[in-house]
Amino acid sequence: MRLAITGYGVVSPFGVGRESWEAALAEGGDARARAFRGRSEVLEGELAERARTAEVWGFDPNEHLGDKGHRAFDRLTKFLIVAAKRALADSGLKPESGWVEGGPGPTDVGVCSATAYGSLDAITELNRVAELEDPRYINPARFPNTVINAAAGYVSIWEDMRAPNTTVVDGNCGALDAVLTAATHLVHERGRAFLVGGGEVVSEPLYLAMRRLGVLADGRTDGQGVEMGEGACFLAVERVGDAKARGARIEAEIRGYGTAFDAPHSEALLVCATPDAVARAVREALAEARLAPDEVDVVVSSVGGIGDVDGAELQGLAAVFGEDVAVAPLKRLHGETFGASGAFGLAAALAWMRGVTVGPLLRGRAPERVRAAVVVSVGFYGNVSAVALVASE
Amino acid sequence: MRRVFVTGIGVVSPVGFGHHEFGSALLEGRSGAAPIQNFDASGFDRQVACEVKGFRSRDFLTAAEARRTGRCSAMALAAARMAVEEAGLKPEHLAGPRTAVILGTTMGEANVLGELESTWLHQGESSVLPSHLPRYGTTLLPIHVARAFGARGMVQTMPAACAAGNYAIGYASDQIRAGRADIAITGASEVIEKLQFAGFVRLGAMAPDVCRPFDQQRRGLIIGEGSGILVLESEESVVRRGATVLAEVGGYGLACDAHHITRPHPEGEGSRAAMRAAISSSGLDASAIDFVNAHGTGTPANDKIEAHVMHEIFGDRLPLTTSNKSILGHCMGAASALEAVSCILTLRDGMIPPTLNYETPDPECVVNLVANEARAAKVDVVLNNSAAFGGYDAVVAFARPGVLPPPRDPWAEAA
Repeated sequence: MRLAITGYGVVSPFGVGRESWEAALAEGGDARARAFRGRSEVLEGELAERARTAEVWGFDPNEHLGDKGHRAFDRLTKFLIVAAKRALADSGLKPESGWVEGGPGPTDVGVCSATAYGSLDAITELNRVAELEDPRYINPARFPNTVINAAAGYVSIWEDMRAPNTTVVDGNCGALDAVLTAATHLVHERGRAFLVGGGEVVSEPLYLAMRRLGVLADGRTDGQGVEMGEGACFLAVERVGDAKARGARIEAEIRGYGTAFDAPHSEALLVCATPDAVARAVREALAEARLAPDEVDVVVSSVGGIGDVDGAELQGLAAVFGEDVAVAPLKRLHGETFGASGAFGLAAALAWMRGVTVGPLLRGRAPERVRAAVVVSVGFYGNVSAVALVASE
Repeated sequence: MRRVFVTGIGVVSPVGFGHHEFGSALLEGRSGAAPIQNFDASGFDRQVACEVKGFRSRDFLTAAEARRTGRCSAMALAAARMAVEEAGLKPEHLAGPRTAVILGTTMGEANVLGELESTWLHQGESSVLPSHLPRYGTTLLPIHVARAFGARGMVQTMPAACAAGNYAIGYASDQIRAGRADIAITGASEVIEKLQFAGFVRLGAMAPDVCRPFDQQRRGLIIGEGSGILVLESEESVVRRGATVLAEVGGYGLACDAHHITRPHPEGEGSRAAMRAAISSSGLDASAIDFVNAHGTGTPANDKIEAHVMHEIFGDRLPLTTSNKSILGHCMGAASALEAVSCILTLRDGMIPPTLNYETPDPECVVNLVANEARAAKVDVVLNNSAAFGGYDAVVAFARPGVLPPPRDPWAEAA
């Protein structure tokens, strides 16, 4: 597998665009305080006061999309479109002036987008009407938002991208699995470029569900408990030859992907993560990338505050890399973004390769120059995915 | 590149369980439409759907599986068990990292979410049982299935609305061809939930009485549910264990209309691109296609555009066409998976199920329709056509074994 990453776009608690993202990575701990800055803008009432969430603060879609045509979109759709717009511009595929003559055009560019709970708030919005008023009163213009792939579909519509549009739902592993989806589409020549990534939003039903499950950090800052985040991130990926042919800046190459699944040993359990699945996924990605473990400089981990899951990940990583490799707990910076988290991990790895130190680290020390990175996503239900990437020559 | 074969099929449908009941109902034209039983539809001006009747998880699942799954996953697992049995796969064939589970859906465990939210909204957060919450996750659909068979490879959910079955089947075939899996359990599952029903009513997409695909009097769809599961295997796996092959998976095509979130492109641009890609990636030209299992929803726009696209692709030589939706209803994410099973039965048995309720030809919507009665035909290659919310278009080709040319190996070419 050789995929060129030629740019990316981010909507995060630090703002819109890669600049604010990379600045936050460089800030480290100080940026965390900005991500979890206080009263929720998404949740209401008692929840708004109590919740500690990393939200896309002050997000104004009009600022990025104009004031028309997006009234029926949900928050996720707006995030995705803005991230896509930024990734298209950053990669040079579609600057503000539109598609580039002679370059990939509308029928050549597609979307591979991941989410875990993307349509949940839209479903809740309509269920509220259906349950508390009358199902005959639900707003038909908002009904499409209840369909999981609609948000990614709107991205293609907004930006006129007619190559395949694929949505992936794999819990926390979605965005990394979307990398394989794009690689598959590219190798089969179903398009010339794909936006790969995903999005997630803070919502009342998701927050309440996590609270009810007792897994939220609820103000703890010792790494125990989930801290919810939100945002969207898309990376532009192309075949290396195509990217070179159009003179694109290649920031890094994705060289390998691996995935694995283990079920719990007890029939009574559902949540599961095993060191073995982590190790298998990572080794598969390394083998495809033709990288030895000691050639990997940094690992962007999936560590997200659930003790057993985090423990399995760290054990699995140690089994592959030993204890010395640098491991970054990116989610401590900007929260758990579930299906989108792998995309943020890739964006952090890219920044690291550009000399932006991602810290503080869980363990190990990163070399001054990062040439090879592995991004890992660990699901709550036994699945693990990993992507290996190397810096551009 | 590796050939991919279908060795097992399993069905939970509005017209019965298992492909024997399913196939018989399709050929006999026994519609699954009936007054809705699973929720109170009396307030709506549409009250008919193609529900799966009499499905009990415990008839197919262990007690522990039944406890942790919602209806959508339970139907998928039940159909998967049927497909695995049909394929003659033993636990030792499926256990391990070389088995993938890739499933499509539109909304996954919509019933579970509906129940959870109803409890929350009427009785408060504290009335929601934490043990019920994880049953909602859409990501769990393939995980429940993988767990049941000891599969430890790729698990993936592809929510592609009403094209989800084709998306999943196509992508599963990709992964076997690429050598990332030897066996894939794939297909799709969907349940009817009151909210979806209300949504389609509010969109004005529901037929007042019956679904009439391609008929001039067509006035919409009848919503359905179910699960269609295929076992796909690499040629090497088939040879190694001496498996019986039902069909070969050809190429597939995907495209995005990028036009409107619910309406098809007025010229069928994406649909045409996807259909062309399915044919060319199978190493065929349009003249090789004997039969098209149409998307055929019975909505005015879909059927007209689908007919238009078929004329553009096939010219005057229109292949035989039918729409299973006149019998099964529109089973949303599961639709193209169930229709894939129908395609495979047609390839195996040489019988094409009828499109019911066809009475008045529409000069703007002419297809070579197998109308009202099943027809015997020699069918070597079929296209399974689908389209979906989001502007998704997906078409998968299936063929009788021995018909397709050797597939290309783009991964090797890329390397």
